[in-house]
Amino acid sequence: MNSANQKPTNIDPNLPLSRHLVDNEHMLKTMFERCSDVIFRDVTLQGDTKLLFIYVDGMIDKDIIQSVILKPLIYEGIPQGVGPIDSIAQMCDQQLFAVLQTKKVNTFRDAADDILKGHLAILADGEPTVLLTDVSDYETRSIEEPSTESALRGTRESFTESLRTNTTMLRRIIVTPNLKMESYNIGKLTQTEVVLAYIDGLVSTSMLDEIRSRVERIDLQGVLESGYIEESIEDTHYSPFPQMLSSERPDVVSAGLMEGRVAVLVNGSPITLVVPMTFWDGLQAPDDYYERFMYITMNRWIRYLFALFAILFPSVYIALTTYHPEMVPPKLMLSITGLREQAPFPTVIEVFIMEFMFEGLREAGIRLPQQIGPLVSIVGALVIGQAAVQAGIISAPIVIVVSAAGISSFVIPRYRFGYPMRMLRFPLLVLSGIFGLFGTAIGMIAILSHLIHLTPFGSPYLQPVAPTKKNRAKNVFLRLPRKRASKS
Amino acid sequence: MKKILLIFCLLFLSASSTGCWNLKEPNQRAFIIGVGMDMTEDKELEISSEVAVPAGLGSSQVTGAGKKNTYTVVSAKGKDFMDAGQRLQAELSRSLFYAHRQTILIGHHMAEVGLDKYLDMIFRNPKSELRSVILVVKDGTAKEVIKAEPTFDPFISTTLGSQQSALGMKPYYYRMLLCDAFSEGTQPIVPAITADPSRGYVYAGSAILDKDHGIKLVGYLNPEESMYDNWIMGKQKNLTFTTSIGKRNETISIAVQSLKHRTRIKMVKHRPQIYISLHGIGSIVENNSSLDPSREDDLKTIQTKLSQEAEKKVRKLVDKAQHQYKIDIFGIGEHVHRQHPEIWKTLKPHWRETFPELPITVSVHLRYRDPGQTNSSL
Repeated sequence: MNSANQKPTNIDPNLPLSRHLVDNEHMLKTMFERCSDVIFRDVTLQGDTKLLFIYVDGMIDKDIIQSVILKPLIYEGIPQGVGPIDSIAQMCDQQLFAVLQTKKVNTFRDAADDILKGHLAILADGEPTVLLTDVSDYETRSIEEPSTESALRGTRESFTESLRTNTTMLRRIIVTPNLKMESYNIGKLTQTEVVLAYIDGLVSTSMLDEIRSRVERIDLQGVLESGYIEESIEDTHYSPFPQMLSSERPDVVSAGLMEGRVAVLVNGSPITLVVPMTFWDGLQAPDDYYERFMYITMNRWIRYLFALFAILFPSVYIALTTYHPEMVPPKLMLSITGLREQAPFPTVIEVFIMEFMFEGLREAGIRLPQQIGPLVSIVGALVIGQAAVQAGIISAPIVIVVSAAGISSFVIPRYRFGYPMRMLRFPLLVLSGIFGLFGTAIGMIAILSHLIHLTPFGSPYLQPVAPTKKNRAKNVFLRLPRKRASKS
Repeated sequence: MKKILLIFCLLFLSASSTGCWNLKEPNQRAFIIGVGMDMTEDKELEISSEVAVPAGLGSSQVTGAGKKNTYTVVSAKGKDFMDAGQRLQAELSRSLFYAHRQTILIGHHMAEVGLDKYLDMIFRNPKSELRSVILVVKDGTAKEVIKAEPTFDPFISTTLGSQQSALGMKPYYYRMLLCDAFSEGTQPIVPAITADPSRGYVYAGSAILDKDHGIKLVGYLNPEESMYDNWIMGKQKNLTFTTSIGKRNETISIAVQSLKHRTRIKMVKHRPQIYISLHGIGSIVENNSSLDPSREDDLKTIQTKLSQEAEKKVRKLVDKAQHQYKIDIFGIGEHVHRQHPEIWKTLKPHWRETFPELPITVSVHLRYRDPGQTNSSL
């Protein structure tokens, strides 16, 4: 509370620098008051020229400062006889640090911003400018294998938290000057760099303009993850379905770019967004186009079926056994009945209990530390699977139904896309518990009409199946060999 | 948001106003597996229902000795099907559910009186199964068959359909009885069984029902006759045929797999002439004679003998139908109706009188493609 009441700085940061080093030093010191990691270092050259170095400790490469900046300045002094030199800053810029990126700024705000990004600021007495050299070097995570989108085939690289690393990965894959990367700084406090990457000529300009304007309109205090951007630019918040593909794989993002989509990279987040997304993207695995087409066609169908299964199985089970037992084969119906002779709860309640337990287990599995992770599965399997059935609290078919539906939702290759499937199960359960198959049908109609209605960034979500584009729709269901796919 | 809420409200209203509120847990229902219909001495309908006891089926929960029965039979008398059903309900704590009925058994008496008055429920009631196998109990009551202990299955009713498949026939479903009963010129030929104290029941051929007189029982065909009749009607999928050959009456058996049947109607001077030709190709499965099926001469002998024998039997059956029962059990009327619809119009009113006088020519051709794994018998 106390710190919030304190006035951060009593200086206007937009002020230009003065000609006196002492004033400038005082100003900056006031700005960086109580910032123990900001280092001010005075250097006096040949007795009279005073320089001030400002940097954030830990964000710069000390070796470079020593060998490239300090040593030549202190030992060799200002080089003589190289023509007229206007200022120390210009001298440093043009003659001393030939290998470094430098720039000059005139206001305190710009200087402070860059210092905080890991630049070294050099101020000289008698000059109203700050020379900033990019010597930033801070600890980042190295490139690792993708952890949430594993694929049997394809690159083992995944994006990291460092935006530059990520853009490099894309550049290495797509070698064309048409790959544009527009940069934005978003977040008042975080100043997070957000890059819109797209291939000029492939991307639809109207969509790009729309994305640009939405990104420019973002007004946030801070951006910690690409999810902040996603939420700020998505079409509607009231949809269970993700409207942007999020991926940590450079190959998936590159594929999206080559299809004329826009990638949104956010500094500090290994998850890149690809805009726009369709329903079918959610059901495609990263290595769908790396493996032989026949296996993939089969796998796709398995995924489609299981996705349907994940949404519908529990509610159809309820509808059939409690409302329409005539639709179940007699022998199956009798054994289901036999197994639920002692069940104390109605089928709907049973399914609800089990679904909640399953979702709880799943949630517990994500949050728990790895060492006690297996405990959850053991307790879950024992308590939910066996004991509940043997105690007669839950009937055995319910366990089968719920776990089968749960497993099917994990067949969906994009983990995020499994969420809507699991979530929509509950309204469907209520509907079919009240109205039978009729309710299931109503629920499905509602979901489908929502999907058809959804057009993220102007492109229909169910494209190319609805609205139908015959030639491209084929590829959704079949994953044709590349030659034939491109011909059609 | 408001619009979406409105839409959901409308959907909810439309759904709840359709009256789809028949939720019943499976363990609140009594699943009827089979139904027997009998006519008592005092002309009252008696319904015997075989009701599944699911606790006896769910094996995992019943541990130890207290294994329950898998079924129970309840019977009640009544004015009609549902009237008796109400009385059945009085004996059971769960509501009766007809949609899983596998079998309908018709008692001998019931068949004699005629079925037409009591079959309406089976196709009027939407919760009723049209694919129940229907059978007539020859010289007995449906009740005694339905009470019997089954050999394989947990229920005797489910065995009856598989029994027909095992005999090479297509199972005769209730809806086929309906088709036959409403057709122009086919009489329902319903499979028949007899009650058997040890096995529960034994297949006993077919019952001939007369659709023109209240689906009343006319008579029975024995298993062999029904086999040929089914062949002519296209209801037989395979059969095994045995003939004696040579001086010492040695036997040869042939298992015939692909049965073909054809009934042609030729009009000669406005009178129909019927040609029934039957074809069958099979393999020799038993040969106790000295003939060698791999030799051409013997091959011809065997095939001619087999065909002649079969032909003789079919002729006998035709004779029986024309002169004993005087009823068209081959569905010839239907063939006339299809092949010569305009003539059928004049023939139909007195088809029953015409049928016994019809000239019917029968030809049977049995061939074998596979002499078996050896040549002549040992």
